[in-house]
Amino acid sequence: MWSFITRRLLIMIPMMFFISIISFTITELQPGDFATQFLNNPRVSPEQIIQLREKLGLDKPATERYLIWIKGIVTKGDFGYSFAYKRPVGELIWERMGWTVTIALITILFQWLISIPVGIYSALHPYSAGDYTLTTIGFLGMSIPNFFYALILMWVALKFGSTSVGGIFSAEYIGAPWSIAKFADLLKHIWLPLIVIGTEGLASLMRIMRGNMLDVVGSPFVNSLKARGLKDGVVKKHAIKNAINPMVSIAGMQLPDIFSGTIITAIVLNLPTMGPFFYTALLNHDQYLVMTFLMFIAFITQIGNLLSDIALASLDPRIRIN
Amino acid sequence: MKKTLILIVILAMGLALIASDYTVNKMFTKEKAKTGGTITISLDSAPQSFNHYGALDNAVYTVMGQVLIPLVEMNPITLEIEPGMAESWEISPNNKEVTFHLRASKWSDGVAFNADDVMFSMQYFVMNKFAEGNQVARYTLGGKLVEWKKVDNMTVKAILPEPYGAFFTVLAQAVLVPKHKLDGKFDKNDLGSVNKLWTTDVDMSEIVGTGPFVVKDYYPDQKIVLKRNPYYWKVDSKGIRLPYADELDYLIIKDPEVAVAKFLSGELDYLKITSKDYPSLKQKELKGADFKVYKGQPTKPTPSPIHITFNFDAENQQLREVFRNDDFRRAMEYALDRERIIEEVYNTLAVVGGVPVLPSNKAFYNPEIENIRRSFDLDKASELLDKIGIKDRNRDGIREFPNGQQFRFVLLTRNQQDFQDIAYLYSQDLKSIGVNVDLQILDAGLTSQKALAGDYEAAIMAFGNQPDPQLRKAIWQPGNPLYYNHLSSMDKDTRTVIKSELYDWELKIWEDFEKGQVTMDQASRKTYYDDWQKLYAEYVPFIYVCKGMDLMVASKDLGNFYQLDNGTMVYLEYTLFKK
Repeated sequence: MWSFITRRLLIMIPMMFFISIISFTITELQPGDFATQFLNNPRVSPEQIIQLREKLGLDKPATERYLIWIKGIVTKGDFGYSFAYKRPVGELIWERMGWTVTIALITILFQWLISIPVGIYSALHPYSAGDYTLTTIGFLGMSIPNFFYALILMWVALKFGSTSVGGIFSAEYIGAPWSIAKFADLLKHIWLPLIVIGTEGLASLMRIMRGNMLDVVGSPFVNSLKARGLKDGVVKKHAIKNAINPMVSIAGMQLPDIFSGTIITAIVLNLPTMGPFFYTALLNHDQYLVMTFLMFIAFITQIGNLLSDIALASLDPRIRIN
Repeated sequence: MKKTLILIVILAMGLALIASDYTVNKMFTKEKAKTGGTITISLDSAPQSFNHYGALDNAVYTVMGQVLIPLVEMNPITLEIEPGMAESWEISPNNKEVTFHLRASKWSDGVAFNADDVMFSMQYFVMNKFAEGNQVARYTLGGKLVEWKKVDNMTVKAILPEPYGAFFTVLAQAVLVPKHKLDGKFDKNDLGSVNKLWTTDVDMSEIVGTGPFVVKDYYPDQKIVLKRNPYYWKVDSKGIRLPYADELDYLIIKDPEVAVAKFLSGELDYLKITSKDYPSLKQKELKGADFKVYKGQPTKPTPSPIHITFNFDAENQQLREVFRNDDFRRAMEYALDRERIIEEVYNTLAVVGGVPVLPSNKAFYNPEIENIRRSFDLDKASELLDKIGIKDRNRDGIREFPNGQQFRFVLLTRNQQDFQDIAYLYSQDLKSIGVNVDLQILDAGLTSQKALAGDYEAAIMAFGNQPDPQLRKAIWQPGNPLYYNHLSSMDKDTRTVIKSELYDWELKIWEDFEKGQVTMDQASRKTYYDDWQKLYAEYVPFIYVCKGMDLMVASKDLGNFYQLDNGTMVYLEYTLFKK
């Protein structure tokens, strides 16, 4: 097991190096640079733009800039600094981590708490009215574009006199110390992103769970359990345990989504998460910030995969890592 | 005892005299105000820094505009220069020296403001070319820098290389920073290090100012809390110290729809809106909602007024010749249906906006251009095109060059809805008179890059307005890097004008701007800029389309927020109050 983990971690090094090249190439392919956005800004003179390019090193050839960046990472663990914020990019990303992870974890929890029982129910009552209804609702959530869904829900909330739309707190509670009132205010706001972001992945999780469950229910070992006269409840327990395994690998894949999956929705819902921040950096050509963010997502994806492999191995004795 | 009392009274009176207060223009304090409370407004992006000179970011300017004050201020409505941190000033007879007498006032942490702060701000920020938001170009006249001298603790002197007509307008944008807080915090051998001061993670108590508010807290991407500065030097006509409100909160809301929703839910006190939201909000107002929707006469730099231009240096030799023909550009103006654009693209919420001085700019607008401006008339456009030899020779409905080749050009614009819509409507009208236009719609940054490099045939672009034409000289004066429809009029290496490349009317405009720059008397300056506007209207190097109105919505319990009869919106954050 440990040798497996070490091997996987070691493979990540060349992988990340390769990804850094891709990230850099992608940001280079984007037309213009950080200074371009100021070209028709009334407050900025053309001389200033030229100076800015020189100061940020944007006038240097691409390969040279890449090497400087990589050198900083390898020798000092320095991922560069944001052109816009004049601060180290790591710090900026860290600043937004709290709410990003919180909101994502709550929505993932919401998805799982609903999709697994619903998937099981659907599989145990296939082609029933209940199955069809739940599946339809799930698909509706999946097929309505998130940002549009968010706007509709906000409109409905306003229509019914709610004063808690957009963001995660009302203005007076942003930055206020925690209290029951503040927590209540959070609950008044958080249901909206929860439903909007949560329902997106609901249908697919539900369908996967349903499919797995149907497969397992029809498999020979279930028949043999039944033939041995085990109670229905006990049979189901065994079936669920087997059907849930593939879900673990999906959980690993959800990890990167936490950080980048809901950019547009987060803008529409005014969430203080990393998505909109990354989006602005992309538009502004804030190159180091964009590259570091892309590297971070790639890293998280690999970690997610590793974690799900480990979890799978420890859950299912049939899977041996070696 | 009595003597001590008298002494105290005298001392107090003396102190009141030393701390020189300034009474704000009555137009901003029309209503009887209530003090206290919080005004909450929206900001469409998070600030990149709290250093006014460390970032090129409108959010920074908006927030720090409440905290830091320049030597002189410009009244946002009348555009008149009013005292700021300089209480008064004198101009020398040769118009080359300005002596500023500073206000006896304090920074928000109680430390006295003095001449050292001005010298420090000018040297390390305003005129430091390594500061990202520096303004050094505006203080460079004929290649020489404006010089600053400390006369005494409360007096500074500016020595101008030559008389400078827009000096005070330029100065009104140079906010002053506190020396006692910033000196020693950056490397004076690396002047670029000033950009790293007051970044968004700074301890907010380090940020002090002489403006109405100071920054109290910042919650990244969510909210900026400003609290009133107890030492602010402005009072209302009754002597009540401003600002009225205790707090000014900026909620960071990136999406305009969410901002409207937040306004409707009562979280915001007023909000700038788009022409898209205007009808539905107006309907709500008419149905008795507790807010008022305003359709204000445009006064602000943004939304930038859109123009159409044809490249005098287009790569295609035949097109270049046609574009340089005055009658061609006049024909193109006749073919532009401004009324339809205002109606269909802007929901009627835009005005024809001058060339490009706004009609609301009483100091510089030349109303004569209204008689010269060509209204939509396709017959006249056709007539002019026929006259210059761009005719339909083979009766296929499409015009050709004199050599029989089809006449068509590429119109470049950015992928922003109003730009695209205007491009489309215009191309349809041109098509109906036999002019084929290919639209090239690109990302905004790329569009600017191509246009400003002269890599286009025709383009639709926009630059924000400024109160003084001098501040837009780099764009509208021929021979400058942003005069992008005739880049061959500038020597690329020396960045100076090549007069032999200019047409007579361009040369006159060039001279108008030069004279306007070195004249101190505002009335004579106006005559030069009047002439420039007339020449622009006459020779149409740029066809100005329109300018969006200042659309706003404000809660009815917000005081000192109103509209003048001429349509101008009047309010200042520090005179607003909750009724």
